[in-house]
Amino acid sequence: MSEQSEGARGSRRRFIDGLLGIGLLGWMGSAIYPVVRYLKPLPLAGPGGPIRLSEEQRTTIDRERFIIVSQGSERVMVFKDVSEKLYAVDARCTHEGCTVQFLPGESMIWCACHNGRFDLDGRVISGPPPRPLPRYAVHFDEGGDVLVDAENA
Amino acid sequence: MNPEPVQESKRGGLLGWMDQRYGVRGLFEFLSHKTVPVGPHSMIWYYLGGTTLFFFIVQILSGLLLLLYYQPGEDTSYETIRFITTKVPFGWLMRSVHCWSAHLMIISLIVHMFSTMMLKAYRPPRELTWVSGFVLFALALAFGFSGYLLPWNELAFFATVVGTESVKATPVLGHWLLEIMRGGTDVTIHTLYRFFALHVVALPMIVFAFIGLHLVVIQRQGMATPMRKAKRLGAMPFFPNFLLRDLILWLLCLVGLLSLAVFWPYGSGIPGLEWELGQKANPLMPAYPGIKPEWYFLWIYQLLKEFPPHFFGLEGPQAAILLVGFLLIIWALVPWLDRKARHDERSPAFSDLGISAIVFIAYLTLKAWDIGGGGHGSVLPDPGAVARVCAYWMLGLAGIIFGLRFFLYGHRWYWLSGAAMLQVVLHGVVGLSYINAGFIALGLLAAGVALSIMRGGSAARGSEVRP
Repeated sequence: MSEQSEGARGSRRRFIDGLLGIGLLGWMGSAIYPVVRYLKPLPLAGPGGPIRLSEEQRTTIDRERFIIVSQGSERVMVFKDVSEKLYAVDARCTHEGCTVQFLPGESMIWCACHNGRFDLDGRVISGPPPRPLPRYAVHFDEGGDVLVDAENA
Repeated sequence: MNPEPVQESKRGGLLGWMDQRYGVRGLFEFLSHKTVPVGPHSMIWYYLGGTTLFFFIVQILSGLLLLLYYQPGEDTSYETIRFITTKVPFGWLMRSVHCWSAHLMIISLIVHMFSTMMLKAYRPPRELTWVSGFVLFALALAFGFSGYLLPWNELAFFATVVGTESVKATPVLGHWLLEIMRGGTDVTIHTLYRFFALHVVALPMIVFAFIGLHLVVIQRQGMATPMRKAKRLGAMPFFPNFLLRDLILWLLCLVGLLSLAVFWPYGSGIPGLEWELGQKANPLMPAYPGIKPEWYFLWIYQLLKEFPPHFFGLEGPQAAILLVGFLLIIWALVPWLDRKARHDERSPAFSDLGISAIVFIAYLTLKAWDIGGGGHGSVLPDPGAVARVCAYWMLGLAGIIFGLRFFLYGHRWYWLSGAAMLQVVLHGVVGLSYINAGFIALGLLAAGVALSIMRGGSAARGSEVRP
């Protein structure tokens, strides 16, 4: 066998190896992609629009000074300060996502997990949270019902 | 092993039959030659891997029993655990054994890992034993974390919220990983389904593989011996001498485990080491005061509290989690970083690294327990008082550890652990913030080591006076 044909054989082998490599990558991709897509959860299709507080929920606010309500993947805390003004903020602490609570005695929002403290507008007073709690708008409709508007903060 | 089948075998019976077909005599030959090094060094460290394995076996068996009644689901997870502990005969015992054994396994594993660190048993040729052991450590933590959610109670819910949220710190992939882990944007029952599959199927299979690897490399290389003592060592046959000692210890472990499980079925009463079922998880309830993770995660929990909201352009929690990841990677790579031990030379800097890890983790853990803060009920503990009282505890602890090191082990290299203690004092006694105290301690450490290198001092050589 001549040297030239040896070289040609080598380059043919490299070419075939390259094709096999591409095929292997393609095969792996087609096996892994469906698994990754399967693992990725479907988006939660909750009802949109403002949250309307029920009679019972309003009674709870009067009694406990605050309530946490959910809609879709949102968790919202609605609370009442000493002057009976209603506020609404995102109930998930911006630090590590624990659910916050309203401390009426100290007029402050507090997260029990890592001692994050916020004022009534959701601004950080002390502790490790890096961002303020997003605020939600509170409206009253014609019938006197309370609406919490996630869109219109 | 034996290519020509069905030949003479000196033994009859089942053993002879097996040997004719599979050549099992080689295995017995191997076992009969296997030895454990005996010498002036303490033997106790050779048993800890075995006790960890024992508790893991208990976990598999008790977990299997719990599976017979447990059903994952929104309306069943909490209810079936309550049913197991209140209605099923000895159900409380099964859950108690599973919980206690989990904690004892982690304790045994951590002591095993630290003894390996201090004895430098990770040095060549045993790097992969260390790395596979480190992976098993990470898997044990994953086991603890995923099992924690399964009762679907309040504590489990928030522990999982915080634990999964910290995944967000992963560069680039963070948010994607978070959703994959949670099965949605929030922790829901879908998170529990995923954790259940992980806890009872995926993790056990991966752990079996790594235990197999860990044991195979140990069998190939034999037990590690203390540095530079090889000539004075004797040998104890593994079979039956060491194995029987192992079994006695396993029996003692079983007695200890059952005593704890019977007398303290809901744990020790120390936060992070108790498992009262409490209230069912309710995403619409706020986190309750005094909520804490398992004791082995307390240092990370406290670190998350110590970091400021923003840190060099990163958000505080992300910086805290990245720091934890960085420290764990250093720990995993110790066999390659410890150049002196690679040449069988003393490497006091790495003995000191092990001690400084203990100082670092112990202070954060004490602080996480709010020791000395005077908090009870709705009164929150005073962070300044906690920092001070825990610093005094640490000074006492360090006095004992450093005294033992100086007088008993002849250690003379204290740069890292000294810096760790300096941070404790600056934060707890002087009153600087934890982060600032850490920076000052690190700065002084760097300056001290640099100065020592320029003068050709002991920090550079890392030399140590021999005992």
